[in-house]
Amino acid sequence: MAFGFGNLWRRKTKTILTILGVIIGTTAIVIMISLGIGMNENFRRELENMGSLNLIDVHMPYRGPGMMERGGPIKNARLDDKALAEFRKLEGVEAVTPIAQDYMRFAAGKYVTDISVIGMDTAVMDKFDFKIDKGRNLLPGDTTAVVFGSQAPTLFYNPKSRNFYGMGGSNPVNLISDKLLLTMNHQYGERRQSSSGDDSKPLKVYKVKGVGVLQQSNDEKDYSAYMDIKSLEKIIAEGRKMQRQQGVGDFSPGQGYQQAKVKVKDIQDVQRIQQHIKDMGFECFSLSDILKSMQETALGIQALLGGIGAISLLVAALGITNTMIMSIYERTREIGVMKVLGANLNDIRKLFLLEAGMIGFLGGLLGIGFSYGISYLLNYAGLSFIQFMGPVGEGSRMSVIPAWLSAAAVVFAAVVGLVSGFYPARRAMRLSALEAIRTE
Amino acid sequence: MFILDEQIAYNSGEGLAIANIIELKDVRKVYRVGNEKVVALDSINLTIEEGAFCCFLGTSGSGKSTLLNLMAGLEKPTKGQIVIKGSRIERMSEQELALFRQKHVGFIFQSFNLLPALNAVENVCLPLTFRGVSKEIREARARKMLKDVGLETHYRHRPSQMSGGQQQRVGIARAFIGKPGIVFADEPTGNLDSKTTMEVMKLITGIARQNGQTLILVTHDLGIARYADRVIHILDGNIEKIEENSGNVGVNQ
Repeated sequence: MAFGFGNLWRRKTKTILTILGVIIGTTAIVIMISLGIGMNENFRRELENMGSLNLIDVHMPYRGPGMMERGGPIKNARLDDKALAEFRKLEGVEAVTPIAQDYMRFAAGKYVTDISVIGMDTAVMDKFDFKIDKGRNLLPGDTTAVVFGSQAPTLFYNPKSRNFYGMGGSNPVNLISDKLLLTMNHQYGERRQSSSGDDSKPLKVYKVKGVGVLQQSNDEKDYSAYMDIKSLEKIIAEGRKMQRQQGVGDFSPGQGYQQAKVKVKDIQDVQRIQQHIKDMGFECFSLSDILKSMQETALGIQALLGGIGAISLLVAALGITNTMIMSIYERTREIGVMKVLGANLNDIRKLFLLEAGMIGFLGGLLGIGFSYGISYLLNYAGLSFIQFMGPVGEGSRMSVIPAWLSAAAVVFAAVVGLVSGFYPARRAMRLSALEAIRTE
Repeated sequence: MFILDEQIAYNSGEGLAIANIIELKDVRKVYRVGNEKVVALDSINLTIEEGAFCCFLGTSGSGKSTLLNLMAGLEKPTKGQIVIKGSRIERMSEQELALFRQKHVGFIFQSFNLLPALNAVENVCLPLTFRGVSKEIREARARKMLKDVGLETHYRHRPSQMSGGQQQRVGIARAFIGKPGIVFADEPTGNLDSKTTMEVMKLITGIARQNGQTLILVTHDLGIARYADRVIHILDGNIEKIEENSGNVGVNQ
């Protein structure tokens, strides 16, 4: 069957043009899909920058008056230790911690800052991706210890200084060695206290101890401080009580925790566990929600892009069919001669299928090579264009061609070739030998 | 080139028991052209013995080519039986016919019909290729065949690089390489000049007689018909007369 190649070679121009069609079709599909895959990867990377994908935030269900009107059974779910214990029992859950959070003021000497203080279960802190840069992590029994986010030191300023917004330069405070004070009084340390607090007792000030600074994580952790939830809740409760005496705020203790975080071992389980917790009557949120919707969007775009590519490959397939049919017209006599010389119908069909498959295969192979080239260009030249539209993380690529994609593309192109060759091959097979060799 | 006289003497010897290789019984072929029926062959009854060299002679449109096509299994008769080597070929399927042609039939065409993509050796190989003979064996045999027809210098030439006479020699080598029982030749010299015609005819008859192969030749050229043992005149779809050439064929001019 070597003359399949001979025939392809003899009709060089036509073959090359047909192969070119397949190359373009394959390249179009591969590049389009690779863009989709690249987009997906970038989404994932961005989300990973935003935070861990296997964390679930659990909230108390919202019970405003509107909810009652809308009806529906409201489960009497309370985010307390009992509920947390139930979360822990769920399969695939690695760790659970209650979360309390408030905005408080830290003071170190004459420097102060207002940052978000988050209370956690100190026993499981290391499970929640808290990586220590300096000092140590929180340990069970650390009632007054605080761990700061990496950017927290830079947030301290001197309220008595004239240009206290001029941060930066050297960090004025050493959070681990300096004496620290924590208070809910946001005017603490200011030169003038606002008038509203004049007639009331000042909010209590607590002594705390900085024990560690976290590694930079590029998310909200950098700008937070962490401490034991029991201690924090006590501070909050006392503060609220004080404020209520002053007629501000509304705090009813014993309602359970504000929120909780659940760490899941495997990202695949996040959706399932999240649904489980929702069924228990809580509000849930995780980054994998966003990932899911992003992936759905990406899938849609990918399908669209792939569709465009598929159209060009379809055109290429028609090209193959057309070339093969033309080839049959040109070679009617040859086919006839072969039949007269005793060629099996199968031989003739094989010959044509082989030629068509060869065109598809070669086109696919070259198309893949071509795609890698284009992908390379896109990743190096096109990246600046994306950066123009929005920031991208390091190592992000616009177009990603995994090995399976290139293998699938070559196989697909060959199959398209074979399928396109099927009709011409049948035609050649059915050609009357007599018609073909007629001299006139 | 060949010792023709000796072989002719052998073939025309009376006493040999010769089996019929081709039998036509009441063969009729009607073409339909639009609404009109054209009778190409009316009613042909004919037997040809193994090893004979028959020539069908007739003007164009006499039906001689149709008769050849029927005997080669390229067409089916409207009516009648065609028995070749004991098989009713008009009943065979196309697949069976392909196999039949592979085994028993060689073909020489007027317009040579070599495959332009292949060189001389590969063209000669074709029938063996279809039989599934291994490449070394078939190419060795093809080279020997080409040497026999005097083309040992043109193994790697493509048809476009050869003269008409050379192409027809390749065609002859191709027809005989599979040692078929019957070789059909349809105006094999129609595209050749008279000198080449003679050479080609000697070559064909020489090889056929050497191997005891049946040769069926179709022509309108009386000069060529003289090479045959038997000349069957075809006129308007019927056998007009059958002439036996007694000896001396091919050298009687």
